[in-house]
Amino acid sequence: MSGVTAAAPAGGGLACGPLTTAGVIAMGNLDARIEGLAAQAVPGKLTAYGWGELVELTALRGHVGGRIDEAERAAALADMFVDRAPRDPRPLLARAQVAAQFHRFASALEDLEAAAVLGLDRRTVDEERAAVCQAVGRYDEALALCQRALSRRRDFATLAAMARCHAENGGAAHEADEAAEAETWFLAARRAYHGVSPFPLAILEFQCGRMWLVRGGPARARIWLESAVARLPSYVPALGHLAEADAVEGRRAAAVERLRRLVLVSDDPVYATGLARLLGGCGASAEAWFWRAHAAARYEELMARHPEAYVDHAAEFWLTVGGDPQRALRLSLQNLAHRPTPRARALVDRARCRVGQRQ
Amino acid sequence: MSDHLSGTRAVADPAIDLTDLYAFPSPSRPGRLVLVLNAFPSARPGALFSDAASYRFRVRPVSVPMGNSGALFDVSTDEFALTCTFSAPAAPDEDGRSAQRGTCVLPSGASVSFLVNDEQGGEGDDVRCYAGLRLDPFFMDVAKEVETRAGGRLAFVPQGTNLLEGNDVLTIVAELDAARVFGPAAGSVFAVAAETVTLGPYPVRLERLGRPEVKNILMSENGVDSANKIVDLRDLYNEEDPFRLGPTYLDAYRSRLNANLGFFDGLDGKLDWTTQPDGTHPLTELFLADFLVVDAAKPYAEDSFFEIERALLEGREYTSCGGRSLNDDVIDTLYTLIVNAGHGPRVSDGVDGTVPALRDFPYLAPANPYPPEQAATIPKAPANT
Repeated sequence: MSGVTAAAPAGGGLACGPLTTAGVIAMGNLDARIEGLAAQAVPGKLTAYGWGELVELTALRGHVGGRIDEAERAAALADMFVDRAPRDPRPLLARAQVAAQFHRFASALEDLEAAAVLGLDRRTVDEERAAVCQAVGRYDEALALCQRALSRRRDFATLAAMARCHAENGGAAHEADEAAEAETWFLAARRAYHGVSPFPLAILEFQCGRMWLVRGGPARARIWLESAVARLPSYVPALGHLAEADAVEGRRAAAVERLRRLVLVSDDPVYATGLARLLGGCGASAEAWFWRAHAAARYEELMARHPEAYVDHAAEFWLTVGGDPQRALRLSLQNLAHRPTPRARALVDRARCRVGQRQ
Repeated sequence: MSDHLSGTRAVADPAIDLTDLYAFPSPSRPGRLVLVLNAFPSARPGALFSDAASYRFRVRPVSVPMGNSGALFDVSTDEFALTCTFSAPAAPDEDGRSAQRGTCVLPSGASVSFLVNDEQGGEGDDVRCYAGLRLDPFFMDVAKEVETRAGGRLAFVPQGTNLLEGNDVLTIVAELDAARVFGPAAGSVFAVAAETVTLGPYPVRLERLGRPEVKNILMSENGVDSANKIVDLRDLYNEEDPFRLGPTYLDAYRSRLNANLGFFDGLDGKLDWTTQPDGTHPLTELFLADFLVVDAAKPYAEDSFFEIERALLEGREYTSCGGRSLNDDVIDTLYTLIVNAGHGPRVSDGVDGTVPALRDFPYLAPANPYPPEQAATIPKAPANT
């Protein structure tokens, strides 16, 4: 059978999903496209459009492969792009998107405003601003921007943005209702997808799966995450979250197996952290210690290079297998100052509990 | 850039991004018609076709009214489709390349199977098919063309730079005996279009393609279309049936073409086309009938792109096969037509070709064996450890 359909639904909702290109083809083609664009950049033949695409695809490959070095390369390319065309809004948009990925939200907003001054259309600016507002916990503002975009154009992009906005709205009074609402938007976005590239859809499904995992719905999370992995079998963050679902549901051996594979392909220490935690809990202390040390060293590097992007994960690491709750508290407070989200507050509360500070 | 990157959907998924369509009588096998559909701009070794889309040639008999200047083609509702689909790749070979199989379903319902990148292709029922990586035959000075539209003046230079030099594409080639495959009643003159559509019970059109540069040049936003300056029409246009534009956006396409064609006509400082009082340009409806027109009974000609259309415009009998050959300099032909209507010197972008196409199956030159290496100037990520 050609193409990939969604995983079979356990709780309904994901049946007969859009058919997408097999992941092995899509990943090969992504590599081929990036190579082709990079080759054009050599003799200076790459158009501004091509530069933007090169930045975007490099960042995409970094996300799917769980490769921070690839995301860093995308950031370096975006900087080069801005240097080459300082009066063009497109490089600034590309750099803003990469900056947001690294949680440099103020820089992202500055670049977006500069791009708007240079003529970037307001709709694109607003869509990017909505993502930043959401990331820093300004949900009402993000929701208003998403609603405005949706009123102008109801398509996969605007529906997916709306879904993410509801999914991240952790401060909502009725969390379960908010998650159900978010899932409705995720499903609507999925239905509105008219393409065969697996990337947008796999990312959407991953985002919904992550939401359910955060909200304590591992079974529902699994349906979405497995659908994402059916589309892109090498999708590292989705596999990592499936390992988390495995662990939550008591399938520790399966989770360890998944994470052992991920730590070999990804340079993101989040998987080594998870593996060390699971191995430590089942008596494999030597291996757990190895991965703990590996993650600790990697978080030191990342905190030196991208403190905003990794402060929350580093805090989580020191709070758990890292075994330094004071440091975790310090980092979690830093994270809260940077992103005052309900999740950041919860992390601070957990760190305070660990060090004996009561609320 | 022909039809490369013609809209956001195409950019997001190069495997379904149609870059060019060609239709010409075989230069080496008289009586055989060759159809070529290219996809995946700047493809590299390892690039594969999507297994979730079908790649389709659509062919309709057409008659060319003569002696009536300004008439339009009379396109039959009879249609012949050659639909290609591809498998997920098998396990990688020794070189790490994945083998992909293709199938082309013919108008008769019979099918031809082939292995992607197998030079011999597959053959059956008077049709021979090839699919795989080849050199992109399209050539053009893209930078100067963009500068022309941005500056509102012809910016081409005598020695232009082919932006696509050395680039590869994924191609599908079908060489067929038109009389046998389409039947003698279909005649010898055909309208040819290509499209990619999703597989599954409710196919959605992803891309459509007829003539080169209809989307990227003729429908581009140049600040002259007062009806619509915001919406990129190309994604909408890509969803249209190649032989029947829907009514929803038709006026938007017309408005854009009327405005742009007036703009192009003025690039040399004089107007050669006479528009109607309501702004309708004489070429608009012809371009909206966006397909190649080829006469399979005429001998192969290297440079006969738009020849049948020009004859139609002038109310005279056409003399060549029309269609579009792989070596055809379509940018010069198109720009000359829209800038001076053929009344002045040929407008050239200064790029007259790339590696010439082959005269035999599979016609496109082999893929560039020495793709440029990645630049030292492209930054590498800092080391992890």
